[in-house]
Parts: sequence; structure tokens; C-alpha cells
Amino acid sequence: MSGEVWSFSENPAVACEVAFAAEGLADKAGLTQATVQLEEGGGASGRSVLVISGPSGPFSPEVCAEALFRAASARHPRAVLIGATRNGRETAARLAAKLKVGCLAGVTSLGVEEDNLTGERSAYSGKVVAKIGARLPAVAAVKPGVYPPTTAVSSTIAELDVGKVERQVSILGTTPKEAGTVDLKSAKIIVSAGRGVKKKDDLGMLEDLAKALGGALGCSRPLSSDLGWLPEEHHIGLTGVTVKPELYLALGISGQLQHVAGMKDSKVVVAVNTDKDAPIFQASDYGYVGDLYQFVPALRAALGR
Amino acid sequence: MKLAVCVKHAIDETELKLDQQGRPILQGAASKMSTFDKNAVEEAIRLRAAHQGEVVAVTVGPAEAKKTLKEALAMGADSAVLVSGVEGDSLSTAAALAAVLKKMGPFELVLCSEGASDTYSGQVPPMLAELMGLPYLGYARAISLASGRVTAERSLEYSVERAVAPLPAVLSVVSEINEPRYPTLIQIMQASKKPMVELTGPELALESRGGGVSVVSMASQQSNRKHEMVAGTPAEAASKIVAALKSEGVLST
Repeated sequence: MSGEVWSFSENPAVACEVAFAAEGLADKAGLTQATVQLEEGGGASGRSVLVISGPSGPFSPEVCAEALFRAASARHPRAVLIGATRNGRETAARLAAKLKVGCLAGVTSLGVEEDNLTGERSAYSGKVVAKIGARLPAVAAVKPGVYPPTTAVSSTIAELDVGKVERQVSILGTTPKEAGTVDLKSAKIIVSAGRGVKKKDDLGMLEDLAKALGGALGCSRPLSSDLGWLPEEHHIGLTGVTVKPELYLALGISGQLQHVAGMKDSKVVVAVNTDKDAPIFQASDYGYVGDLYQFVPALRAALGR
Repeated sequence: MKLAVCVKHAIDETELKLDQQGRPILQGAASKMSTFDKNAVEEAIRLRAAHQGEVVAVTVGPAEAKKTLKEALAMGADSAVLVSGVEGDSLSTAAALAAVLKKMGPFELVLCSEGASDTYSGQVPPMLAELMGLPYLGYARAISLASGRVTAERSLEYSVERAVAPLPAVLSVVSEINEPRYPTLIQIMQASKKPMVELTGPELALESRGGGVSVVSMASQQSNRKHEMVAGTPAEAASKIVAALKSEGVLST
């Protein structure tokens, strides 16, 4: 097989991961990896870089997908890998619809079998790993945080002017998420709060524990989405942040599948819950049936901090 | 104004059983309205309350998907459409939705959720916008309508983007946008009197074969957790756990 595997993400860190994924796929299938760089976004790392010019203005998935479509119509890549950020998922879906090809969404591994692009993804809130496939050429949205960043040194293989792209959506402004935002993705230790916390003020106790451990505070969906006790950036789960810390302390979290989907790759999981049948214990290394209000002070004492 | 809300009759992942090889038993599996779609239905009903008009709930799925449409009707949708007999992937679903929305429309606003609670690939809403040639605002956590335009706060990973598009438009909403209502018993009973149309893929003259994505195989998620339950008083449990975590090397000493 010959041809190109493209990688793209508007997020520079994710772009390096997707480039790494594309390099691996290129090696498996005898293809050439190329990182796509647009003026409005995209990485510059990888074995080679394809520079696309024409569109201008802030990054938008509709413009990016159209630019990629025009470039793909000219160079016919065998596969286009896009980082599955929220904007990336839209870009990938739109590109696949334009090209009338399959899109493997949110994959964590990639391969080529005969004439198909294959990939694995989590389904049913992480209960199942599904291997899916689509005939090449195909698009894949690659889950961030799975692949390491590329170390390849890039050279430009081509520059392509795809012309102006019309916008249907106007971006009025962008604001960073609420101040005091946590970086759960890079936290080594996460203390996570669930419905077992009785009132908002009690979160202080868990926040103090997180600080004492040098970690960050997360929560399950009810605390952020329903009760609004913590900003959405703390929400760990299928529709929130996916984390994989060294230590995950689930306090008063029942462990619904949608929560577990966001923390199942943690190295060590400790769960404390008053309900001995809480599903969180199925996703834990160490479990204690008890009251977090008694356990947390005891833990602080045992830690000596 | 005429609003469409797209819903999915999804596998209830909490009830899903696995066979001895760890494969999910999808035949006869419990199913329900995709959890996050309730937020899309709720938002459609709220927008109707503020701007008048009607809400049509639309789904592509098997005959059992009527259960999900009935729930949308009980929540407050005015009528419902089922498109059955469509096989394929997200692109096939999006093509079927695009065809039925064109047939039943024109709609000024099409609402979806960010992704289905069973498969969570989030592909159908942007594909639908692409196929209909309409502007798309994904992951909206707030929506406002004024003078033929829709403005949304798009909740991205690290930022919130405010964006505006002319109507008609397709939007997807995140679950923090609202708290979905529970229908009352009377609403549930009235739902069965509301109009429900059933169409098939061939009736819509669908040409698209979709993108040809298929499932090759499925296996249970391997978990190699220790599942050690620690007993004793809180103090005893805490010291045992701290000792275990130190030997695991995940706590600095």
C-alpha cells in the first residue's frame, strides 16, 4: 500500500499525539505520515508537514473540515486522523460526510487490515471495547491522552492553497473556563467527590485533603451538572474529563458506568462508600465500606498531613 | 417556530449483560431514551415556551424506538416521527434524519444532544448539519434566539466560545444546559393521543450507503483491579490503605 496518512488537531499538544498515532499507522501499512498545518491551527511536529493555506480567521470546525476536504480531494490521503477534542469530533464527522467515507470516532488504537482502517473504542460507558472498521480511505477521531507525543523532526513535503472558505458561524468571543480551573488531566492524585457529600460546604474538607496530597479535586456528574456545587471542569466521566492519575480516591461516589468511563485508566483506585453494593467497588483496588466524614479525618491522621 | 429534536432509542448500558466470552448481549437488551437526549428535548420545550411554535421529536431506529418517542411526547413534544428500516453507521442515520427533516420541514432549529449514552460517538449531529448544508453549533450550554439568529455558548475543553449563526441551524447541547423534567402521569397518558408518524428508509428514497463503519468484534473491558475490601474502624482502614498505597508507590513518603 502507498499513500499518505494525515494527522491534525487544532490543539498543539493533541496534534503531537495524533502525529505519533499516524506515524505508527504509516509504519504498519507502508504509508507516509504527514501532519496537516493550517494557518488557523494545527501542529508542526511529525515526520513531514503539509501546509494548507487559504482559510483565515479563528479556528472553526466547519472551515477546517472544508479545507481538509479540498486538500484531500487533491492529494487523496488513505486515512485522515483528527484529535477527538470537541471541535475535532465535529471536524472529523463533517470531513467524513463530505468525503462520503466512514469515520471511526473516539478510537484508542488503530490498524489496517486488508483494505480497512480499524480501531478500538470504548462503548456502553466503558463496559465493552468494540473493534470497528471502515473501508479505506477513512477518517478517524483519535482520543486525546492515549498516544505519547511524536519525537519526529518534520520537514515540509508540500504546500497547498485551497482558497477562501465561507463561514456560516461567526465566533463572537472566547473566554477561558472559570478561574481557579483545575488541571485534572495532569494531576498525579485526584480526590473525587460524589453524592455522599451532604452539602456544598463539606467539599472544603475534600479540597483540603486534595491539597495535603498535592492533588486536585474532581467530582461525579451530579455535583457539577445537577447541584452546581463545582464548575463543570471538575466533572470526571463520559461527558466530562477523562483522567488517569496515579491515585484516584473516590469518596461517596456510587460508581455509575458513566463516571467509571472517565477514571477507569487510573493506576490505583481507592473507594469509600457507605453502600457495600456500590458499583464503584467493582472499579477499585482498595475499598472501604464506611462514612467519608469519618474516613477523611482518619486518612489525614494516617498520612500525618 | 418549528423545532425538531433528534433522539436515539439507546441500549440501556447499565442493564447490559455480557455473555461468557465477554460480548454484550444486544438481542433483547433493555433500551431507553439516550440519557443526554432528555436535555435536548427539555431545551426544545423551553424554547417553544419562549418563542411559540411546535416541537417534533424525530428518531431513526427500530419499532421499539416508539417508546422513546412516547417519552419525548410525554415531556411535551407536539408530535413524533419514527424512521425505521435504516441500516448502517452514523452517516446513514444522519442521512435518514436529513431526509425526514426535509420532508417534514422546514424547521428553523434542529436540536440534538452531544452524543448517545450507549455509543457516545457524537457524529450524527455535525454530519446532519453537513448533509443539510446548515450552520452547526455543537456542545451548547446556553442558547438564545433573536431576530432570525441563534447564539450559543459552546462549552469546549478549556474555554467557552460564544458563536452566532443564522436560522435555520443545527445545535447539540451538553447536559449542564438544563434539568430535564419528569412527565406527570397525565402527560404520559396524553402522550399516546399525540400524532406519531412512521416512515421507512425506502419511503424516504435514501440513497446513501453511509460511511460503511461496522463493528468487527466486541469484548468486555478488561479490569485488573485488586478489589481488596479493607475492614475495621475508619482509623484502622485508613492506616491499612495508606500502607498499601505507599507500597504501590503512588504516595510520596
